[in-house]
Amino acid sequence: MTKMTEFPAGPKPGARDTSFFDDPMIDHLLRAVVTLTMELSVTRERLETLELSLQGLSVVERAKLDGFSLPPETEQARGRHRRALIEAILGPMVSRLATLDLAEGD
Amino acid sequence: MTSAVGFQPNHDETARQAFIGSLKEFINFKVETRLEQRFEDDLHPAWAARHGRPLADRDEAGAVLAQQPLYQLWESLTFHSQNLMWSAVQDTTDRTIEDQVGAFRERAASPERLGSMRLQDRLVVKAPISTTEIHRQPGGYWRETRADDIETALNYSGTVDLYRNAKGMGAGGKLGSDLIGRLLASVAKRRAPDLDPKAILDMGCGTGEQTLAYKRVFPDAEVTGIDCARPFIRFAHGFAESAGEAVHFAEMDAGETDFPDASFDLIVSVILFHETSRAQVRQILGECWRLLRPGGLVLHLDVPYHPHRISLLKQVTNHWQVRHNGEPFWSGFTALDMREELVAAGFDPATAFADHEQAGPATYFFFGGRK
Repeated sequence: MTKMTEFPAGPKPGARDTSFFDDPMIDHLLRAVVTLTMELSVTRERLETLELSLQGLSVVERAKLDGFSLPPETEQARGRHRRALIEAILGPMVSRLATLDLAEGD
Repeated sequence: MTSAVGFQPNHDETARQAFIGSLKEFINFKVETRLEQRFEDDLHPAWAARHGRPLADRDEAGAVLAQQPLYQLWESLTFHSQNLMWSAVQDTTDRTIEDQVGAFRERAASPERLGSMRLQDRLVVKAPISTTEIHRQPGGYWRETRADDIETALNYSGTVDLYRNAKGMGAGGKLGSDLIGRLLASVAKRRAPDLDPKAILDMGCGTGEQTLAYKRVFPDAEVTGIDCARPFIRFAHGFAESAGEAVHFAEMDAGETDFPDASFDLIVSVILFHETSRAQVRQILGECWRLLRPGGLVLHLDVPYHPHRISLLKQVTNHWQVRHNGEPFWSGFTALDMREELVAAGFDPATAFADHEQAGPATYFFFGGRK
């Protein structure tokens, strides 16, 4: 059986919040910006796919898209998605500050 | 029509995973290149001027870099890109897992299946795989959370080409690509042009994509893939059956197989050894020698980042993998002389080799020998 002492120390299981900057808030902000950028990229690609799919089919007109009224269930689903996105961006910072050691925050 | 076993992201999941691939490429090349320039042009000369000598090793260099915001940025981005990667593939897996387990069961129970799957009565997984979240994959490779589980394999399958391509090591392969296996097969043909393999063993076959390449390149050979992670063996079997390839898979420790002596005339692996340990390296190579038929070839591919071949900065960023990316044997493996290890395991010094080879823009590390 291989002994664990053979291996140097590594990340703890489930480690997700390791900080590398002197101020851990910079790590969080950087990650928030990257995650946001990713979601912007995803959204752009989704829109482009949609527009390409509709192009030539004459399914919608842009003016009609601007005036489109959402069904209630879609409205609710979008609300859930917005809240999840905001939680993903700001949640880690809030958690970090909420559990900040007083000496660490001096 | 039975569903195919395989990682199947939808539109937005694909876009998210593609973004993470691009982000990793940016970090690995753009950020790391700027860091290398900063280190070579400013940090190292300034340190050498102060101390009257150059930095001695990666530990000294690491201490200098640890204070640098650009290095901290590289660390933070690298760490977060790995968080994002596992999170993004988990979305796909969560959405598809029940259907995928169902597809696996249908494939595995089909009377028309081409290959086979053999699981052990007990888990054969050893440290560090058993004790570490390798690559920080949540839960590690081998854990099961449901009957007939393939979850960890789905996640891994979704990351492997993304990760390799972002390192410049993926040969441009897309999801489910077998290009690395094909590369290995081409090197095998060049190193042993006289060899017409009838039985091929792929050690540490993981999710099996590369194992299929050996069957495609050598269609007359019986091809077997082994791995210690049970979910991976299930996935590999379902994936091969979905692809219509007659390949056999077995849950097995590469250092302690149950095959008779001289069972194979080509034994291969792709990035297996750096996930083992010093003791297991000897054990696996010894098993290779035992299993190889006279005239056969052993050919392994693994990480090429040996300290004597790379810059001090690269040595630091590579060793970071040990501390922060669940790669406990990454530096330990590259410190070994694999030709010496082969000879110690019984290989003939006249044919044992451990070479770095260029293929396209990437350098790969091959080692093995003939019998």
